[in-house]
Amino acid sequence: MKIEILEESDLKVKFILREAPIALANSFRRAMKSLVPTMAVDYVDFYMNTSFLYDEIIAHRIGLIPIKTDLERFNLPEKCSCGGEGCPNCQVSFRLNVEGPKVVYSGDLISDDPEIRPVYDNIPIIELYEGQQLMIEAVARLGTGKEHAKFQPVTVCFYKIIPEIVVKDNCDKCGKCVEVCVRNVLKKENDKIEVGNVLACSMCMECVKNCEENAIEVLETNDYLFTVEGTGALPVKTVMRKALEILRDKAKEMNEIIQTLI
Amino acid sequence: MFPVRCFSCGAVIGHLYEEYKKKLEEGKTPKEALDELGIERYCCRRMFLTYKSVIKEFARFHGAVG
Repeated sequence: MKIEILEESDLKVKFILREAPIALANSFRRAMKSLVPTMAVDYVDFYMNTSFLYDEIIAHRIGLIPIKTDLERFNLPEKCSCGGEGCPNCQVSFRLNVEGPKVVYSGDLISDDPEIRPVYDNIPIIELYEGQQLMIEAVARLGTGKEHAKFQPVTVCFYKIIPEIVVKDNCDKCGKCVEVCVRNVLKKENDKIEVGNVLACSMCMECVKNCEENAIEVLETNDYLFTVEGTGALPVKTVMRKALEILRDKAKEMNEIIQTLI
Repeated sequence: MFPVRCFSCGAVIGHLYEEYKKKLEEGKTPKEALDELGIERYCCRRMFLTYKSVIKEFARFHGAVG
Protein backbone atom coordinates (compact mmCIF):
# COMPACT_ATOMS: atom_id res chain seq x y z
CA MET A 1 0.00 0.00 0.00
CA LYS A 2 1.41 3.34 -1.09
CA ILE A 3 0.05 6.86 -1.00
CA GLU A 4 0.98 9.43 -3.62
CA ILE A 5 -0.28 12.95 -3.08
CA LEU A 6 -1.21 14.78 -6.28
CA GLU A 7 -2.81 18.03 -5.15
CA GLU A 8 -2.84 19.62 -1.77
CA SER A 9 -4.47 22.78 -0.47
CA ASP A 10 -5.92 23.84 2.87
CA LEU A 11 -9.23 22.12 2.40
CA LYS A 12 -8.73 19.71 -0.46
CA VAL A 13 -6.36 16.79 -0.98
CA LYS A 14 -6.22 14.52 -4.01
CA PHE A 15 -4.14 11.38 -3.73
CA ILE A 16 -3.58 7.99 -5.28
CA LEU A 17 -3.73 4.89 -3.14
CA ARG A 18 -1.71 2.18 -4.83
CA GLU A 19 -1.68 -1.61 -4.49
CA ALA A 20 -4.49 -1.92 -1.99
CA PRO A 21 -7.47 -4.27 -2.04
CA ILE A 22 -10.76 -2.50 -2.75
CA ALA A 23 -12.11 -3.46 0.69
CA LEU A 24 -9.26 -1.54 2.30
CA ALA A 25 -9.81 1.49 0.08
CA ASN A 26 -13.48 1.52 1.04
CA SER A 27 -12.83 1.06 4.75
CA PHE A 28 -10.32 3.92 4.58
CA ARG A 29 -12.98 6.15 3.03
CA ARG A 30 -15.56 5.12 5.61
CA ALA A 31 -13.12 5.62 8.48
CA MET A 32 -12.37 9.17 7.31
CA LYS A 33 -16.06 9.95 7.01
CA SER A 34 -17.53 8.35 10.10
CA LEU A 35 -14.87 7.34 12.62
CA VAL A 36 -12.60 10.38 13.04
CA PRO A 37 -13.94 12.55 15.88
CA THR A 38 -14.40 16.31 15.58
CA MET A 39 -16.01 18.95 17.70
CA ALA A 40 -19.48 20.38 17.16
CA VAL A 41 -22.12 22.05 19.29
CA ASP A 42 -24.44 19.37 20.57
CA TYR A 43 -26.43 20.95 23.40
CA VAL A 44 -27.84 24.47 23.57
CA ASP A 45 -29.48 26.16 26.54
CA PHE A 46 -31.83 29.00 25.64
CA TYR A 47 -32.27 31.61 28.35
CA MET A 48 -33.96 34.13 26.09
CA ASN A 49 -35.05 34.02 22.48
CA THR A 50 -37.35 36.70 21.14
CA SER A 51 -36.12 36.40 17.55
CA PHE A 52 -38.17 35.27 14.54
CA LEU A 53 -36.62 31.79 14.46
CA TYR A 54 -37.51 28.89 16.73
CA ASP A 55 -35.02 27.62 19.32
CA GLU A 56 -34.56 24.36 17.40
CA ILE A 57 -33.64 26.09 14.15
CA ILE A 58 -31.02 28.25 15.86
CA ALA A 59 -29.62 25.23 17.72
CA HIS A 60 -29.39 23.32 14.44
CA ARG A 61 -27.62 26.19 12.68
CA ILE A 62 -25.10 26.53 15.51
CA GLY A 63 -24.52 22.78 15.44
CA LEU A 64 -23.49 22.88 11.77
CA ILE A 65 -20.74 25.46 12.33
CA PRO A 66 -17.36 23.69 12.17
CA ILE A 67 -15.21 24.18 15.27
CA LYS A 68 -11.40 23.94 15.37
CA THR A 69 -10.60 20.70 17.12
CA ASP A 70 -7.65 19.61 19.22
CA LEU A 71 -7.74 15.83 19.41
CA GLU A 72 -4.83 15.65 21.85
CA ARG A 73 -6.61 17.61 24.53
CA PHE A 74 -10.14 16.32 24.39
CA ASN A 75 -11.70 12.92 24.96
CA LEU A 76 -14.84 11.44 23.56
CA PRO A 77 -17.52 11.82 26.27
CA GLU A 78 -18.02 8.05 26.60
CA LYS A 79 -14.27 7.51 27.06
CA CYS A 80 -13.72 10.47 29.41
CA SER A 81 -12.87 10.02 33.08
CA CYS A 82 -16.01 11.93 34.03
CA GLY A 83 -18.11 9.15 32.50
CA GLY A 84 -19.92 11.36 30.01
CA GLU A 85 -21.23 13.84 32.55
CA GLY A 86 -19.27 16.72 31.07
CA CYS A 87 -15.97 18.16 32.27
CA PRO A 88 -13.30 20.50 30.84
CA ASN A 89 -11.64 17.46 29.21
CA CYS A 90 -14.58 16.66 26.98
CA GLN A 91 -16.62 19.85 26.66
CA VAL A 92 -16.30 23.49 25.68
CA SER A 93 -19.09 25.95 26.17
CA PHE A 94 -19.87 29.03 24.11
CA ARG A 95 -21.86 32.00 25.28
CA LEU A 96 -23.88 34.41 23.19
CA ASN A 97 -25.73 37.43 24.52
CA VAL A 98 -26.84 39.86 21.83
CA GLU A 99 -29.55 42.40 21.24
CA GLY A 100 -30.95 43.62 17.92
CA PRO A 101 -30.88 45.19 15.45
CA LYS A 102 -27.86 43.13 14.38
CA VAL A 103 -26.77 40.19 12.29
CA VAL A 104 -25.24 37.59 14.59
CA TYR A 105 -22.18 35.85 13.17
CA SER A 106 -20.40 32.70 14.31
CA GLY A 107 -17.51 34.93 15.44
CA ASP A 108 -19.80 36.44 18.10
CA LEU A 109 -19.81 33.16 20.04
CA ILE A 110 -17.62 33.67 23.10
CA SER A 111 -15.67 30.53 23.88
CA ASP A 112 -14.56 29.36 27.33
CA ASP A 113 -11.35 28.16 25.76
CA PRO A 114 -9.51 30.67 23.57
CA GLU A 115 -8.05 27.93 21.33
CA ILE A 116 -11.33 26.22 20.57
CA ARG A 117 -13.36 28.49 18.33
CA PRO A 118 -15.36 28.39 15.09
CA VAL A 119 -13.26 27.90 11.96
CA TYR A 120 -15.01 30.77 10.18
CA ASP A 121 -16.00 33.96 11.95
CA ASN A 122 -18.43 35.23 9.34
CA ILE A 123 -21.14 32.58 9.09
CA PRO A 124 -24.47 34.34 9.70
CA ILE A 125 -26.42 32.58 12.47
CA ILE A 126 -29.45 34.82 12.76
CA GLU A 127 -30.67 38.29 11.94
CA LEU A 128 -32.08 40.20 14.92
CA TYR A 129 -34.39 43.17 14.52
CA GLU A 130 -35.21 46.07 16.82
CA GLY A 131 -35.90 44.91 20.38
CA GLN A 132 -35.11 41.26 19.81
CA GLN A 133 -32.75 39.48 22.15
CA LEU A 134 -30.88 36.21 22.12
CA MET A 135 -29.19 34.75 25.19
CA ILE A 136 -27.83 31.25 24.88
CA GLU A 137 -25.19 28.85 26.05
CA ALA A 138 -23.97 26.25 23.55
CA VAL A 139 -21.99 23.20 24.60
CA ALA A 140 -19.62 21.60 22.10
CA ARG A 141 -18.22 18.11 22.45
CA LEU A 142 -16.39 15.51 20.41
CA GLY A 143 -18.41 13.12 18.32
CA THR A 144 -18.10 10.97 15.22
CA GLY A 145 -19.79 11.15 11.84
CA LYS A 146 -21.57 7.90 12.68
CA GLU A 147 -23.68 9.79 15.17
CA HIS A 148 -24.48 12.93 13.20
CA ALA A 149 -23.22 14.41 9.93
CA LYS A 150 -22.18 17.63 11.71
CA PHE A 151 -19.31 15.71 13.34
CA GLN A 152 -17.85 14.63 10.00
CA PRO A 153 -14.33 16.06 9.50
CA VAL A 154 -14.68 15.74 5.71
CA THR A 155 -17.44 16.87 3.40
CA VAL A 156 -16.67 15.30 0.06
CA CYS A 157 -14.70 12.06 0.31
CA PHE A 158 -14.71 9.57 -2.53
CA TYR A 159 -12.49 7.32 -4.59
CA LYS A 160 -12.56 5.79 -8.03
CA ILE A 161 -10.60 2.99 -9.59
CA ILE A 162 -7.81 4.08 -11.94
CA PRO A 163 -8.27 1.68 -14.85
CA GLU A 164 -5.71 0.16 -17.15
CA ILE A 165 -6.59 0.68 -20.80
CA VAL A 166 -5.09 -1.86 -23.18
CA VAL A 167 -5.15 -1.43 -26.97
CA LYS A 168 -4.43 -4.78 -28.60
CA ASP A 169 -2.53 -5.47 -31.83
CA ASN A 170 -5.64 -6.21 -33.91
CA CYS A 171 -6.70 -2.54 -33.66
CA ASP A 172 -7.60 -1.20 -37.13
CA LYS A 173 -7.08 2.46 -36.13
CA CYS A 174 -10.62 3.45 -37.09
CA GLY A 175 -10.61 6.10 -34.34
CA LYS A 176 -14.16 5.35 -33.23
CA CYS A 177 -13.11 4.91 -29.60
CA VAL A 178 -11.52 8.38 -29.63
CA GLU A 179 -14.78 9.90 -30.91
CA VAL A 180 -17.03 8.27 -28.31
CA CYS A 181 -14.72 8.93 -25.36
CA VAL A 182 -16.63 11.67 -23.48
CA ARG A 183 -13.77 12.43 -21.13
CA ASN A 184 -11.11 12.64 -23.89
CA VAL A 185 -8.94 9.97 -22.34
CA LEU A 186 -8.01 8.37 -25.67
CA LYS A 187 -6.00 10.12 -28.34
CA LYS A 188 -5.07 9.27 -31.92
CA GLU A 189 -1.44 10.04 -32.51
CA ASN A 190 0.95 8.89 -35.26
CA ASP A 191 -1.70 6.50 -36.59
CA LYS A 192 -1.93 4.81 -33.20
CA ILE A 193 -4.50 4.89 -30.40
CA GLU A 194 -2.85 6.22 -27.29
CA VAL A 195 -4.02 6.65 -23.74
CA GLY A 196 -3.80 10.22 -22.45
CA ASN A 197 -4.95 11.11 -18.98
CA VAL A 198 -6.04 7.83 -17.35
CA LEU A 199 -7.08 9.63 -14.16
CA ALA A 200 -10.00 11.20 -16.03
CA CYS A 201 -11.40 7.84 -17.18
CA SER A 202 -14.71 7.00 -15.51
CA MET A 203 -14.81 3.43 -16.90
CA CYS A 204 -17.96 4.10 -18.90
CA MET A 205 -16.89 1.35 -21.34
CA GLU A 206 -18.16 3.28 -24.37
CA CYS A 207 -14.86 2.63 -26.18
CA VAL A 208 -15.20 -1.12 -25.56
CA LYS A 209 -18.83 -1.17 -26.76
CA ASN A 210 -18.04 0.78 -29.93
CA CYS A 211 -14.93 -1.15 -30.96
CA GLU A 212 -15.85 -3.47 -33.85
CA GLU A 213 -12.59 -5.40 -33.68
CA ASN A 214 -12.80 -5.96 -29.89
CA ALA A 215 -9.31 -4.54 -29.71
CA ILE A 216 -9.68 -2.37 -26.61
CA GLU A 217 -9.97 -3.45 -23.04
CA VAL A 218 -10.53 -1.46 -19.83
CA LEU A 219 -9.26 -3.37 -16.81
CA GLU A 220 -9.74 -2.76 -13.10
CA THR A 221 -6.58 -2.28 -11.07
CA ASN A 222 -5.75 -1.96 -7.39
CA ASP A 223 -5.06 1.77 -7.67
CA TYR A 224 -7.56 4.36 -6.53
CA LEU A 225 -7.87 8.08 -6.97
CA PHE A 226 -9.13 9.68 -3.74
CA THR A 227 -10.59 13.16 -3.44
CA VAL A 228 -10.99 14.44 0.10
CA GLU A 229 -12.34 17.83 1.10
CA GLY A 230 -12.31 18.96 4.71
CA THR A 231 -14.57 21.26 6.72
CA GLY A 232 -11.63 23.04 8.32
CA ALA A 233 -12.19 21.49 11.76
CA LEU A 234 -9.13 19.30 11.26
CA PRO A 235 -6.43 19.46 8.55
CA VAL A 236 -7.20 16.85 5.88
CA LYS A 237 -3.84 15.13 6.39
CA THR A 238 -4.57 14.71 10.11
CA VAL A 239 -7.91 13.18 9.21
CA MET A 240 -6.16 10.67 6.92
CA ARG A 241 -3.61 9.74 9.56
CA LYS A 242 -6.20 9.45 12.31
CA ALA A 243 -8.46 7.29 10.11
CA LEU A 244 -5.62 4.86 9.44
CA GLU A 245 -4.77 4.73 13.17
CA ILE A 246 -8.38 3.92 13.99
CA LEU A 247 -8.44 1.20 11.32
CA ARG A 248 -5.25 -0.32 12.72
CA ASP A 249 -6.68 -0.37 16.24
CA LYS A 250 -9.86 -1.98 14.97
CA ALA A 251 -7.87 -4.65 13.12
CA LYS A 252 -5.84 -5.34 16.27
CA GLU A 253 -9.00 -5.74 18.32
CA MET A 254 -10.40 -8.13 15.72
CA ASN A 255 -7.18 -10.12 15.81
CA GLU A 256 -7.41 -10.47 19.58
CA ILE A 257 -10.99 -11.69 19.34
CA ILE A 258 -9.98 -14.30 16.79
CA GLN A 259 -7.04 -15.37 18.99
CA THR A 260 -9.36 -16.15 21.89
CA LEU A 261 -11.61 -18.25 19.66
CA ILE A 262 -8.91 -20.60 18.34
CA MET B 1 -31.40 32.83 6.82
CA PHE B 2 -28.68 31.60 4.50
CA PRO B 3 -27.86 27.88 5.06
CA VAL B 4 -24.62 27.15 6.92
CA ARG B 5 -23.88 24.10 4.78
CA CYS B 6 -24.78 22.81 1.36
CA PHE B 7 -27.79 20.48 1.65
CA SER B 8 -26.34 17.83 -0.66
CA CYS B 9 -22.61 17.64 -0.06
CA GLY B 10 -22.27 19.25 3.37
CA ALA B 11 -19.54 21.72 2.39
CA VAL B 12 -19.47 24.85 4.54
CA ILE B 13 -20.80 27.76 2.48
CA GLY B 14 -22.23 30.14 5.09
CA HIS B 15 -19.00 32.13 5.41
CA LEU B 16 -19.02 32.99 1.70
CA TYR B 17 -22.49 34.52 1.60
CA GLU B 18 -21.54 38.09 2.61
CA GLU B 19 -18.76 38.10 0.02
CA TYR B 20 -21.14 36.78 -2.63
CA LYS B 21 -23.64 39.51 -1.85
CA LYS B 22 -20.92 42.14 -2.10
CA LYS B 23 -19.78 40.83 -5.46
CA LEU B 24 -23.32 41.01 -6.80
CA GLU B 25 -23.61 44.61 -5.61
CA GLU B 26 -20.45 45.43 -7.54
CA GLY B 27 -22.35 44.41 -10.65
CA LYS B 28 -20.90 40.96 -11.22
CA THR B 29 -23.07 38.17 -12.56
CA PRO B 30 -23.79 35.25 -10.21
CA LYS B 31 -21.60 33.03 -12.41
CA GLU B 32 -18.59 35.32 -12.08
CA ALA B 33 -19.14 35.70 -8.34
CA LEU B 34 -19.39 31.95 -7.73
CA ASP B 35 -16.36 31.22 -9.88
CA GLU B 36 -14.30 33.78 -7.98
CA LEU B 37 -15.38 32.29 -4.66
CA GLY B 38 -14.24 28.87 -5.88
CA ILE B 39 -17.55 27.06 -5.65
CA GLU B 40 -17.26 24.24 -8.17
CA ARG B 41 -20.07 21.78 -7.59
CA TYR B 42 -23.55 22.57 -8.84
CA CYS B 43 -25.11 21.46 -5.54
CA CYS B 44 -23.32 24.28 -3.69
CA ARG B 45 -23.90 26.76 -6.52
CA ARG B 46 -27.66 26.29 -6.43
CA MET B 47 -27.63 27.10 -2.69
CA PHE B 48 -26.54 30.64 -3.59
CA LEU B 49 -28.61 31.02 -6.76
CA THR B 50 -31.93 29.90 -5.25
CA TYR B 51 -31.67 31.57 -1.86
CA LYS B 52 -34.44 33.92 -0.73
CA SER B 53 -34.45 35.57 2.68
CA VAL B 54 -37.72 34.78 4.45
CA ILE B 55 -36.72 36.52 7.68
CA LYS B 56 -36.95 39.85 5.85
CA GLU B 57 -40.57 39.08 4.97
CA PHE B 58 -41.26 38.38 8.65
CA ALA B 59 -39.66 41.65 9.62
CA ARG B 60 -42.32 43.58 7.69
CA PHE B 61 -44.86 42.48 10.30
CA HIS B 62 -42.57 43.29 13.20
CA GLY B 63 -44.58 44.38 16.23
CA ALA B 64 -47.77 42.74 14.99
CA VAL B 65 -46.57 39.23 15.82
CA GLY B 66 -43.97 39.74 18.51
